[in-house]
Amino acid sequence: MEWAAKNLDFVLELSFNHLLISLAPLVLGSVFAFALVRFTPVKLTGTIGTTFSAIYAVPSLAIFVALPAIIGTSYLGPTNVVIALSVYVAASMFFSTRDAFSQVPKPTVFIARAQGLSPLQLFVHVELPLAIPGLIAGLRVAAASTVSMASIGAIVGVRNLGYLFLDGFQRKIPEEILTGLLAIFLIGIAMDIGLWALGKALTPWTSRSAQRV
Amino acid sequence: MTKPIKKSIKSAIALSAVAVLGLAGCAESNSEPLVIGSQAYYSNEIVAEVYAQVLENAGYSVDRQFALGQRDVYVPALLAGEIDLFPEYTGNLLQHFDPAATATAEEDVYQALQAALPAGLTALALSGASDQDSYNVTSDFAMKNNLTSIADLAGVSGIRLGGAPELAERPYGPMGLMSFYGVTVEFEATGDTTVESLEAGLIDMANVYSADPRIQQLGLVTLTDPQGLFLSSNLVPIASDAVNQEARDLINAVSSAMTAADLVALNVRSVEEQLSSAVIARDWLLSKGLID
Amino acid sequence: MFSIGELFDWLTDPENWTGRYGLANLFVEHLTLTLVSLAIAGLLAIPIGIAIGQSGRGETLVIAISSASRAIPTMGLMFALVMLMGVEFRQFAVVLALVGIAIPPILAGAYSGIKSIPIVIREGARAQGMTTLQQIRHVGLPLSAPSMVGGFKIAYLQVVSTVVLAPLVGLGGLGFGVIQGLALRDFAQLTGSALVIVLLSITGERLLARAQRTSHRRLTHSKIGR
Repeated sequence: MEWAAKNLDFVLELSFNHLLISLAPLVLGSVFAFALVRFTPVKLTGTIGTTFSAIYAVPSLAIFVALPAIIGTSYLGPTNVVIALSVYVAASMFFSTRDAFSQVPKPTVFIARAQGLSPLQLFVHVELPLAIPGLIAGLRVAAASTVSMASIGAIVGVRNLGYLFLDGFQRKIPEEILTGLLAIFLIGIAMDIGLWALGKALTPWTSRSAQRV
Repeated sequence: MTKPIKKSIKSAIALSAVAVLGLAGCAESNSEPLVIGSQAYYSNEIVAEVYAQVLENAGYSVDRQFALGQRDVYVPALLAGEIDLFPEYTGNLLQHFDPAATATAEEDVYQALQAALPAGLTALALSGASDQDSYNVTSDFAMKNNLTSIADLAGVSGIRLGGAPELAERPYGPMGLMSFYGVTVEFEATGDTTVESLEAGLIDMANVYSADPRIQQLGLVTLTDPQGLFLSSNLVPIASDAVNQEARDLINAVSSAMTAADLVALNVRSVEEQLSSAVIARDWLLSKGLID
Repeated sequence: MFSIGELFDWLTDPENWTGRYGLANLFVEHLTLTLVSLAIAGLLAIPIGIAIGQSGRGETLVIAISSASRAIPTMGLMFALVMLMGVEFRQFAVVLALVGIAIPPILAGAYSGIKSIPIVIREGARAQGMTTLQQIRHVGLPLSAPSMVGGFKIAYLQVVSTVVLAPLVGLGGLGFGVIQGLALRDFAQLTGSALVIVLLSITGERLLARAQRTSHRRLTHSKIGR
């Protein structure tokens, strides 16, 4: 791929930017979703769920262009796109987080309470570790969508791999578009493997041999 | 089990905080580096890159905000001081600020633009390099219908005009064709597929920038514009007050060194050799002895 | 930036609804592209999903495809195909891209729908002497309907979202108002178009969600499985 070789520095710069713009929403959105799941009264979960389903149904370009008008962010800079992507991640992670924590076995929680663990200890030592597989699974889905959606931000001037699509199409350079596709694919896979590895690292007991007593 | 998890959570929070702050920092423009913007047009980006490199070569720090889109998006940013320097085109920019402008000749348009620019923005020295909208047809179509100027279109019916979506609302678009030449066209928003659509016969007439190498490559016929539908449009740097005199002199040197042929040649390099604007800009600056 | 009043005026101005680039025509174009692509994707993905769910062969491939596909940049895919096929075939290229985007979720839905049917029931149907077609019609489809409709729901959202970008390759669709509005900084047009897109997206999503619930309810109320 000659074009990629000739423009490697540029592609790497865009890739790095793209990675940052994808990671920040994942963190922000998950934290926000988690806060919603833990700290909102049960009555509201239905409404929140419906709102998020609605938000998730909004095409990303529509949100990218409407957000500055609604909340006054500047068109310039990635803030606008990061906020929009965080909302998408929150929408998707809300359901994943809720499901991940709800499938923590109740008996385990009762036993832990009976043993005298404080709510914080309960959360950190019992609920969170058991919810991690579900959370990681949700994160992997959110990560894949975020990485590909972020490229649409290039239409509003964000400097990421999506630029390769627009510029490649404008100048009629197919390799440029293909390079963009490949780079995004690689970043997507890297994030997926990274999250999978993170999940494994955080749940060492799942990989221990079943024979161990 | 407790320590590793607590640590990972803490570092995750720390990392994300840094990332957010880092990105937030990128979003605001500091008063220190000069912010140079460009349109989502590869040719404009090359010129912006030329400005950026000539300033960096002289020791300035530059923040590139390229591919911002249309002037309706970035002019407010220019006015708000978020962008300091932008390569623009005299005719189009004049029409943006003064839709009723009547100047058509190169110098007149430049002077009218200087008068029309709001406070805080200055037009630096005009460049000889022109790049403006123009209506083009294939040579076959021109021969078949005996076309040399836009006025000749009056005798042709069912003309399909292609261009960017916003062309429909521009003063030199279908409305202008009607009022200046009495020509009716059907508009197709072909965007970046305009030249290909013209080639493929999906449209009859296309709005193509005059510095686009494909006009020569494909043997397209640019229709002349005796009624002055299009304002003459040359490359001109627009600077905010944050750009000091030394920087302005450097940019003016660039403008005087760049001819229309130069601009076309830069575009050719971009489309044929498929190089990035950074490389093309550097080579040109070196060849003109403007950087070392 | 702009007022609700301006937005309302823009939406109620008949000029903005008529003509080739009026909201009415753009809406029809958008819906047509979406439905055609979903239909083609469904015709391809459902039989394959059923087959894989039934036989268990090719499972890993399905799972890999459906997770990897979420990371496909829709804009890049669309541009790549249009460039490959040429402008004259851009409708075809865009539909191809949309079908490519719609197949993974529909495939995943069909596959997991069939897979989740207890093996006892599947075998039972075969033991009763049902032909493959009968098995699919009386057992497979009804029992996997919620999952399949769920797959269509996801595909619908993805496709509607991608068609928003179609004007970038010279086609129509509701995204035109967003792109022209962005260029002209006409916020009324931009937000108005975005609103119509959102309505199309959410309405379809709600309808499909309702269908999903109904097919599930019918399941639990039907005589199958009792």
